[in-house]
Amino acid sequence: MPIIEARGLTKKFRQAVKEPGLVGSFKHFFNRKYKDKLAVDHIDFSVEAGESVAYLGPNGAGKSTTIKMLTGILVPTSGSLIVDGLVPHEKRQQNARSIGVVFGQRTQLWWDIPVVESFNLARDMYEIPVKRYRDNLAQFTEILGLAKFMNLPAAKISLGQRMRADLCMALLHDPKILYLDEPTIGLDIAVKDRIRQFVRSRVEERGTTVILTTHDLGDIEDICKRIVIIDNGKIIHDGDLAALKDNYARDRVIHFQLARPPESMAPICAGLPACELTTDGLRLSVRFDRFKFAAGEIAAAVMPHVEVVDFRIDEPEVEDLIRKVYLGQLSLSPDAPETGELAGA
Amino acid sequence: MTGLGKYLAMARTSIEIWFVYRTTFVLNMIGSVFYVFAMFYLWQTIFLGSPGALAGFTWPEMKAYLLVSFVLGSLMPWFAEWNMSMDLKEGRIAIDLARPIDFQASRFASAVGPVPLEFCSAVAVGAVVAFMFGGIALPADGAHAAVFLVSAALATLIRFGLVYCVSMTAFWTTGTDGITVGRMAVQNLLSGALIPLVFFPDWLRAVAAVLPFQGMISTPALTYLGKMDAPTTALMLGVQAFWAIGLILLGRLAWRGAQRVVTINGG
Repeated sequence: MPIIEARGLTKKFRQAVKEPGLVGSFKHFFNRKYKDKLAVDHIDFSVEAGESVAYLGPNGAGKSTTIKMLTGILVPTSGSLIVDGLVPHEKRQQNARSIGVVFGQRTQLWWDIPVVESFNLARDMYEIPVKRYRDNLAQFTEILGLAKFMNLPAAKISLGQRMRADLCMALLHDPKILYLDEPTIGLDIAVKDRIRQFVRSRVEERGTTVILTTHDLGDIEDICKRIVIIDNGKIIHDGDLAALKDNYARDRVIHFQLARPPESMAPICAGLPACELTTDGLRLSVRFDRFKFAAGEIAAAVMPHVEVVDFRIDEPEVEDLIRKVYLGQLSLSPDAPETGELAGA
Repeated sequence: MTGLGKYLAMARTSIEIWFVYRTTFVLNMIGSVFYVFAMFYLWQTIFLGSPGALAGFTWPEMKAYLLVSFVLGSLMPWFAEWNMSMDLKEGRIAIDLARPIDFQASRFASAVGPVPLEFCSAVAVGAVVAFMFGGIALPADGAHAAVFLVSAALATLIRFGLVYCVSMTAFWTTGTDGITVGRMAVQNLLSGALIPLVFFPDWLRAVAAVLPFQGMISTPALTYLGKMDAPTTALMLGVQAFWAIGLILLGRLAWRGAQRVVTINGG
């Protein structure tokens, strides 16, 4: 049985429509106009216990709104949502006990008191048994390296330290589900790595279900096996990361550094059907489908015609893929698959 | 309610935070000295103009009334509406909502935590000023003092209930400044914080009698002075309890509605 099950989940917001400038403000003051915005538009998905899911989408796509419905913070306009057997907004407190939430943009630590006091408060709020609390705190302190700033107030620590402390606080009560809303925003590489490693260890060791929204694709590749993409409130892709790559990130590019400009492109082109060739002075690039050709075949086809000094291969990047999807240059499965499989996979 | 411990912990934390803001505390003390001094001076002038009792109040009683009014007025932050609207504006409310805590109870715990400290510091400030004006009347005996403490506790509950209810408007409006100012103006007048209700014309006294405000200052101040006979005192405590419970329940009802309209700002 899935731990999260959403059917036709929808959230509509009423937005005030104001014309620009003073005149617009004046008009709006006397005659309010509103329009409805569908932040989340009839989405269906389910997540099995222990899964780690990246929930992606451009800014304003509806990611955070979905997370806030899952956590019981926002009440859905329509549709059904069951998280671990509960309707989150109806049993908000009960739901809160079994989830951990990290909002990258805001802290849950108390600003004015030492970090460790915030942890103690979490212990009381979640009624964590003393022994478990002590064990978890000791373990997390070590893995996340919290000892140095444990006794400083949250207001005095750096962003990277704050995020680590926030993550610790979200996991002290061993939640079944961990929601991470842009957990690595603004962090340096070392801190990012530490956080990803920690989250991954929770997934592997404790079977924690992770729902992650991010704009950092490193987060996804390190933590998640499945990605769900939402745009304009609708799910436009739901499937595993490897399948997505296989289906849509098929192109590799070989760049050859040449000793002399090629005399003619024609013979090379003839040897490489269905490939895209570009030249720029001493550089020749060949874009090819990695399922149709091996890199060696491309090299073998090029080498007889030119003198190659050096070459390198660009692997397909998830980042490019996602960028294309966001820009509308690549349309994934036209109707979001119910099965969690890629259309055509 | 299960899990009282978490709310005790939150109250304890709010005390800790109270201690962090030492400078704010000192400045507040200085500010309130001026306020109490001004009130005493104003009323002293009025009593000098008409010696003896005014509407049944002697000058020592009036001084005690002013002191009680000041101390009770210093309990619980008056800026809860502002806090709530800031929490909403900046989206911090999401954090509270993702926790296994009752929203109202957690706000209450945070508000009530520092009350003993607020009480002591207000008494200290008030006592100094009262001493400068030649001392004040004390409750007649221990029983009166005990009844006063009960009434003062109920007054604090009403205060919380009212401010919480009003702060709920933050969910429907973007700014609550006007509402806060309005609430405070009405409250200062109808609670008897500035002028004892006996000085009011009949119609205004009748208005005050059916509203919760009098339970915030007037009722506890009158129990302190022993101005009401036993049955009246019992009735007035009952009225206070009615408003305390009523406002807290109303706040819970408002919260239910608020949860449906809540939007979280800032992504």
